[in-house]
Amino acid sequence: MLEGILFAAFSGVAIACALGVVFHRNPVHCALLLVGVLLSLAGVFILLHAAFVAALQVIVYAGAIMVLFLFVVMLLNVKGENPLLTPGVAKGFGFLFGLIVAAELLFTVLAPGGPEGTAPAVAPLPVDFGSPAALGRLLYTTWLFPFEIVSVLLLVAVVGAVVLAKRKFF
Amino acid sequence: MMPGIPLFWYQLLAAILFTIGVVGVLVRRSALIIFMSIELMLNAVNLSLIAFSRQHGGMDGHVFVFFVMAVAAAEVSIGLAILVSIFRNRETASVDDVHLLKG
Repeated sequence: MLEGILFAAFSGVAIACALGVVFHRNPVHCALLLVGVLLSLAGVFILLHAAFVAALQVIVYAGAIMVLFLFVVMLLNVKGENPLLTPGVAKGFGFLFGLIVAAELLFTVLAPGGPEGTAPAVAPLPVDFGSPAALGRLLYTTWLFPFEIVSVLLLVAVVGAVVLAKRKFF
Repeated sequence: MMPGIPLFWYQLLAAILFTIGVVGVLVRRSALIIFMSIELMLNAVNLSLIAFSRQHGGMDGHVFVFFVMAVAAAEVSIGLAILVSIFRNRETASVDDVHLLKG
């Protein structure tokens, strides 16, 4: 019961903040609303027994990535867009494609044989489900090679960001 | 069903957030907001992965979310660096004003 109330609260906040991100004029407010989405999703992760991922969500996403966003928003001093949305036909197509994507996703979720239909019963959880130790064990055994590739990717991103943001690049 | 919220509701929430992100990418003009909408979509997918992971009782979904976060961090740092250098050259962050490749 309590779980249901928490889930409803977190998802309500997440959806409201997400709509705010898309339709608010001021980029700084958009970034702060996005932090709201990320934090409420961290709450949902906790409901799903993913404690370590929830902590990562708060530290990495809401902490590091959003600080980068806010830093760039304030560095660029971007004015609010005027008009807010892309004008003319493009806007109509945007909403139309959004509607199509929504219909597809809802069909997938609601269709017989979707998440409820063929899914196995909820598996019993191991005691250390979601703990850093369990995640680390998987990461350094089964997923070791992808993990190394991700570390190379991050190195590439660091070098790329330094090169791109240098003053005399162009 | 065990006590707890059925998988359906998590998937529904993920679908709604993903759709909002798609609309944001399609209708907004500021490149910054488009990046934020992409983050929204990545988070919707993360939620879906975590929910399936809970359903199956395995933690591979958590590892995937870890990788998605790393890729998102890389994407944001590169994307924002490109944005900064575009802004420095052309004094704009609107995707409608960057149309040199348009015929």
